[in-house]
Amino acid sequence: MQGSESEHEALRGRRYGKRAAELEQTAARWTDRGVMQGSESEHEALRGRRYGKRAAELEWRENMVESKKYCLEYEEYEEKGLEPDYVIEKILADPDFPGLKELIIGDWGAWEGSCQPIIDGIVERADTFSHIEKLFIGDMDYEECEVSWINQGDYSKLWAALPGLRELTIKGSQDLELGEISHDRLESLTIICGGLGSDVIASIQKAKLPALKKLLLYIGIEDYGFDGNADTIQKLLEEAAFPSLTYLGIVDSEMQDEIVPIVLDSKFMNQIETLDLSLGTLTDQGGTILLERLPSFSGVKKLDVHYHYLSDEMMKKLQELPMEVDVSEQEKAYEYKGETYYSAMLTE
Amino acid sequence: MSAVVLLGSADTRRSVYLQRAAAETGISFTLMDWRKLPEGWPGREAQHQLFVKIDPPLWDSCRLGELGELTADYRRALAELEYFAGQRQTDFLNTPAAIAALLDKRTCKHMLKTAGLPVTEMLDGEFKEAGALLEGMKTRGWHQVFIKPVYGSGAAGVSALRIRQGGDRMALYTCAAMDATQGIVNTKRLRHLEDPGEILPLLEEILRLDCIVERWYAKAAYRDCCYDLRAVLQDGHMDYLLARLSKGPITNLQLNNRPLDIARLGLADTMPKVLEDICNRAMACFPGLRSAGIDLLLERDSLRPRIIEMNGQGDLIYQDIFHENRIYRHQAQMMKRWMQAEDGAVT
Repeated sequence: MQGSESEHEALRGRRYGKRAAELEQTAARWTDRGVMQGSESEHEALRGRRYGKRAAELEWRENMVESKKYCLEYEEYEEKGLEPDYVIEKILADPDFPGLKELIIGDWGAWEGSCQPIIDGIVERADTFSHIEKLFIGDMDYEECEVSWINQGDYSKLWAALPGLRELTIKGSQDLELGEISHDRLESLTIICGGLGSDVIASIQKAKLPALKKLLLYIGIEDYGFDGNADTIQKLLEEAAFPSLTYLGIVDSEMQDEIVPIVLDSKFMNQIETLDLSLGTLTDQGGTILLERLPSFSGVKKLDVHYHYLSDEMMKKLQELPMEVDVSEQEKAYEYKGETYYSAMLTE
Repeated sequence: MSAVVLLGSADTRRSVYLQRAAAETGISFTLMDWRKLPEGWPGREAQHQLFVKIDPPLWDSCRLGELGELTADYRRALAELEYFAGQRQTDFLNTPAAIAALLDKRTCKHMLKTAGLPVTEMLDGEFKEAGALLEGMKTRGWHQVFIKPVYGSGAAGVSALRIRQGGDRMALYTCAAMDATQGIVNTKRLRHLEDPGEILPLLEEILRLDCIVERWYAKAAYRDCCYDLRAVLQDGHMDYLLARLSKGPITNLQLNNRPLDIARLGLADTMPKVLEDICNRAMACFPGLRSAGIDLLLERDSLRPRIIEMNGQGDLIYQDIFHENRIYRHQAQMMKRWMQAEDGAVT
């Protein structure tokens, strides 16, 4: 179809479809990643589904947009040579922006350039961005960039610039700096990466986040930036002070079994409701410890160990714990020339 | 007298489910096994009017180095069929020439592009070695590409290469691997390599297969998977449209990727019609083509459709045969209409 009514219809449909799909995907993504919890995530998922159904039928109502993703598209960075700061221009030029609560930043040509111009753009226009409550910088997958190639940035100035921020999600750890973290309202901090540097972990360890309810950290592996060991995690949990924490996630580790007793020994076990040890190389060794010790923490309502190397028997035993248990995505170890290999979910 | 012949293989899903559809439609066909073709065409001496459907011959080799030879044999057989058809009254579901044209990904893509259709862009030129490919990518400004043997299906040898400008880092997703005794083989298991010392020698072997190089577009996503689409078009109608979800860049159902009903993607209601129009324009580029499987992607964010490739024998969709068997039922109807027309003409 060229230059015809049908093309117009197709474009219009594409726009609606895109919006609907984005909303549903956003809801699903945040739900799947556990960024939202319980009724909130259900609410978002339902909202996405409802929009998906209605978008094809109804005229778009701009005031319903609360979450939006911005990125540089292929033509923009590969052919037009636009730089990451163009993302800020796109955001500011968007009439939906003033009504947004959630800002998602996708690919900015992240394998080549840092997102620093985007972070700086937000900091420099702090008042303009003050209504943003949820921020995700680096929302891209393997189709767009290797996670370990994402050039992140320095977030030191962001904490003061966005005092109303409640949720921050960062994907990628290369050149990631969090600086001195101090924020009174931040409730959720998630870092998704193939390897978390000990300098970043140190920043979190010293962070002043009195409202933090959820901490989700992908530990990853040495090849992609994790330069610590089990002691690094132990120190983090010993020294960090998050009085409001109810969700603790130490995930995507190839020493997941070692992490289990460290987490269970931490002070946070007496305050959290959700323990997330998913996406790693958890075997029956760690499963046995969870089985023995977790029932003594009566406040824990959910155990998430999805993506694991547990046996069928251990999965069954864990599911009998008096709490919600997610043991989905059972993995099989890879054997080669007499050696057995286990890998965490995100190690790229 | 009119007769329908399936040139294929016994006890395959293709022949079994077409047989079921034919029985439901009240027709029958003769199965001619590829292996018996050298012994002669059924009814060759008789004065039957024939309608022939050609299924692909069975290949079980995992050696990618044999792809070229196997395809050459197949193309020769198709050319012989085309010649034979010219000697007597024979109609085809898809003519041998049309099937052969779609086997060659390079020519097929050129024809589609010349016709103004949206396709995944190819890197101009032929790349026989890794250095030339990396230089070509740099010149074009592309940092990630797909490398596909010109002849091949089922993701055989298909690889996805990504480089960081400056070439200091690279990543390769591939099912190809070097085997000490068999050479380069299709493992049917997607691997992710990042060591240039491992990638570059493998890349050299892959490029020796005669490959096209296409831009790697970020495909549309559904939850934490990306997807592309397989459409099956027959006689101007889109009989099936299926999404193929993957957690890796290569979306092929033979790699155990997950199929998904397109209705769950949240696409605009207008999208199937847009895709059907594109597919019909693509099919019109190949005279003699009445049935094809067409792979399309939707670009991330813009959801702009592009044709990835076409297959003149891409009509086998498990999700269909195990449910409605819609595609083969339509083919059976096409055969029945042909028989009625032929028999009517005779009487």
